[in-house]
Amino acid sequence: MIEESSRFEPFQDEPLRVTSDEGAWIASFDLDLDEAELQTLYRELKRARKLDERLGVLQRSGKSSFVAPSSGHEGIQVAIAKSVQAGRDWLFPYYRDYGVVSALGVPLEEIIGQMTGTLADPAGARQMPSHPSSGPLNVFTALSPIASHVPPAAGSGLAQKLAGKGDVTICSFGDGATSEGDWHAAMNFAGVQGAPVVFVCENNRYAISVGLEKQSGSATIAEKARAYGMPGYQVDGMDVLASLYLLRELVERARAGFGPALVDASVYRYGPHSSADDDSIYRPAEEVAAWRARDPLPRYRRFLEQRGSWSDAQEAALDAAIEEELDVAVRRAEAAGVPELGAMFEDVYERVPWHLEEQREEMER
Amino acid sequence: MPVMNLVQAVSYTLASEMARDEAVVVLGEDVGKRGGVFLATEGLYDQFGPDRVIDTPLSEAGIIGAALGMSVHGMRPVAEIQFAEYVFHGFDQLVSQVAKLRYRSAGQFTAPLVVRMPAGGGVKGGHHHSQNPETHFVHTAGLHVVYPSTPSDTVGMLRSAIRSNDPVVLFEPKRLYRAVKEDVPEDPDHIVPVGRAAVRREGDDVVLVSYGGSMAETLQAADALAEQDVASTVIDLRSLMPWDRDTVLEHAARVGRVVLVSESPHTAGFMSEVAATISEQVLDHLLAPPTRVSGADTPYPYAQDRAYLPGPRRILHAVQRVLEY
Repeated sequence: MIEESSRFEPFQDEPLRVTSDEGAWIASFDLDLDEAELQTLYRELKRARKLDERLGVLQRSGKSSFVAPSSGHEGIQVAIAKSVQAGRDWLFPYYRDYGVVSALGVPLEEIIGQMTGTLADPAGARQMPSHPSSGPLNVFTALSPIASHVPPAAGSGLAQKLAGKGDVTICSFGDGATSEGDWHAAMNFAGVQGAPVVFVCENNRYAISVGLEKQSGSATIAEKARAYGMPGYQVDGMDVLASLYLLRELVERARAGFGPALVDASVYRYGPHSSADDDSIYRPAEEVAAWRARDPLPRYRRFLEQRGSWSDAQEAALDAAIEEELDVAVRRAEAAGVPELGAMFEDVYERVPWHLEEQREEMER
Repeated sequence: MPVMNLVQAVSYTLASEMARDEAVVVLGEDVGKRGGVFLATEGLYDQFGPDRVIDTPLSEAGIIGAALGMSVHGMRPVAEIQFAEYVFHGFDQLVSQVAKLRYRSAGQFTAPLVVRMPAGGGVKGGHHHSQNPETHFVHTAGLHVVYPSTPSDTVGMLRSAIRSNDPVVLFEPKRLYRAVKEDVPEDPDHIVPVGRAAVRREGDDVVLVSYGGSMAETLQAADALAEQDVASTVIDLRSLMPWDRDTVLEHAARVGRVVLVSESPHTAGFMSEVAATISEQVLDHLLAPPTRVSGADTPYPYAQDRAYLPGPRRILHAVQRVLEY
């Protein structure tokens, strides 16, 4: 295993937390983030939540065919975005990660364009909703086959290691992904190569309807890291500060050449798996309510309020500003228009080959 | 000009391209000190070191996936799959991730990588060291698929593949790895473009079309026909996606009798596409139905290793049918 001194110990029995459910700072070290940064985290949590709610509205009103709700995952998702240098480091997110991309700085107009299939999507509406990407911000295009982005993330880390500039990759996935062969191949590859990749499991305990106890034979996802020669950490993924402190340390550790790490972030998705799912069939209402009580947003707001760093007036202003931002983004995304028929033949290859030219002509005839 | 066999042409071209462009790296199982189980990467490790000739864990999903992740950073990885049928461990990486990256990102990200794999039967390798799985990849939008049959073409096509900004799957006919030696072009920029067939000989009685390992038996059949005063045109497709339709149709229309030889399974094999295209486009010029000689729709057999391949005897039977039609 690659070793170095660390504020956080891997393989602990309990998930790392730095704030209590009531919002009190409970860490053994001093908070060293300034108020502006602390408030930014809250703005991004709220933006991610309101984005998710708006995407649900767009889906129910027929403007989008699908959505994979992210509410409940905001703590770890905002922390992922804020642990890297946007535009320098690389992200390999999964389909539920629009809280990551919004906090990273991908414009809401682009995200909503992707969700509604318009040309505001930098990927040209080529994929179904919930598959974000950004060339300028190094957000690798999400894909549906579970864990298939994890081997490319390992390769990205190897390329960064060979380039020797200290850039890193962060790759996120759900708990179900850890059962796929691709996941194990990638973890092993990264471990062997000492690739600077931080792997983050957004562990919401369900792969659609199948619970974690039927997904994994090990007691935690974190302990799987041991087998790949990297440290594994459990963190309360609904504690945005715990998630941020841990990820920043692991990102800097990777940057310094100490190799990959695995984070098992405990979260809960408040919505169904997707707009095509009915979670009431497999999740008791009491369970959902219990996790609702630990909602990362009010919890973090209490933390700010106890510091005198947040007020009802600020909350109201923030809500209004985000709603306005979303309204503008929805309008712009819609105004961008939809791709024409012939666009489906572009970008299959660098140049359109003869057989695709003929198929386009036949279709347009 | 240097004289070499087909597998030497692979290592020769890799060395040439790695010397030209630092972005080119080789990765795979045993490609380092061992130089690959067929010695296709022999000498590269000593010349370029472990950062550019990367021995990977034994995982095709890892090899292809990592190659993709490296390629989005501007590298040009050449991944070796030890035997073609092992690619199925990495099938999803190749068909879902690699092939679709340019499309699904609208060109924000591209995958300029090469996946090389030895393929084909006749080596007493049984089911999992003998197959020709190229049709799976022809059916995968986003991949170029090429299958050279000579040392010179291997040089030119591997170089094309490495320099392509699209992912290329390059099959190597392993029973021809050491079959013949020939002069190969020394020009470090000599390429054979993807999508161009080669006409190996011209004759007016019958057209034989093939590619990859079966080119050897197809040329043997052409020799036997010549002894019977039957003059054949022999076309080596070399590229399957895209394929050189114009060359095939030109000769099919001129001669009117076509035999299509491929050692991959018969039903819905690549030659089915060629036969359908000939029928659709030059039917009025045909004197006989385009006729296929293929492998069987069985698993690749061990004991009947040679019989499975479309050898000269089966090719000649098909030629006789189209001549007597």
